[in-house]
Amino acid sequence: MFQAPDQAAVLDHQFRVAAYVVTWAIQIGYVLWLAMKWRAQKREAERLGIDRAKVQR
Amino acid sequence: MKRFAIGLYVTVTAVLLAWGYYQAIYVAPNDAMQGEIFRIIYYHVPSFATAFTFYSISFLGSIAFLSYRRSRPAWAQIADGWAVAGAEVGVVFCTVGLTTGPLWARRAWGIWWTWDARLTTTLVLWLIYVSYLLLRRFSAGPQMQTLAAVLGIFGALDVPIVYMANRWWRTQHPAPVFGGDSNSGMDPSMVGALMWNMLAWFAWGFLILGIRFYVERHHQKIAAAEAKAALEA
Repeated sequence: MFQAPDQAAVLDHQFRVAAYVVTWAIQIGYVLWLAMKWRAQKREAERLGIDRAKVQR
Repeated sequence: MKRFAIGLYVTVTAVLLAWGYYQAIYVAPNDAMQGEIFRIIYYHVPSFATAFTFYSISFLGSIAFLSYRRSRPAWAQIADGWAVAGAEVGVVFCTVGLTTGPLWARRAWGIWWTWDARLTTTLVLWLIYVSYLLLRRFSAGPQMQTLAAVLGIFGALDVPIVYMANRWWRTQHPAPVFGGDSNSGMDPSMVGALMWNMLAWFAWGFLILGIRFYVERHHQKIAAAEAKAALEA
């Protein structure tokens, strides 16, 4: 799998960027999913008429 | 005061992540053999270190849940909250590790994946905790938490096996960088970048672990309030 040195460096750079982007995509995606879950829970509590103060305790 | 402390923690975490990125990209030198692709280690290793820590939290939470589920139900619910938060955030970090690893391997080894001892045990660990989360998602009833706690304990037993895999068996995965034989170690010019990223990802991890625990406690309290309302009706 011979590659010219400059081509290898470009590929290394692209793979490194891909790894960092994937890391952040997974982390941010999870936080967004958690925020959606939290909002759905709040709506469910309101729908059931559960007192927010009771839930907070 | 609480809001200020949380805001401060979030700010410090954001600064640490930015500083860690700066260290990894602009301060640490390219590896003499691997070139730029080596810089994946600054996200890959902290991700697994964080995942293993959170699986350990899940393990302790599961043990505490099983210990207190009859004698102190309120404590057991808190323990279960930590168990599920640890497992879920652990899966997130483990997913990052299992994704960044093959990206490095494709350039370093020429292959995306191999059934090496370290890789295989890590995949098994990920699958165990994904099944733990699926069990919690799709089963109901009073036994669900108990079954999940037992699965969480068995899952965590794989963590030391994953850690020791490239010490016990010499296969494709690189030998341990730290705590290995006399040839292990890292160039001092690279250690700082790794440690800053370790600190940053732990700070980020504990932030989302805390949020996940809070969401789970909120869920438990809604379920309890709902059950109480149904009884009173």
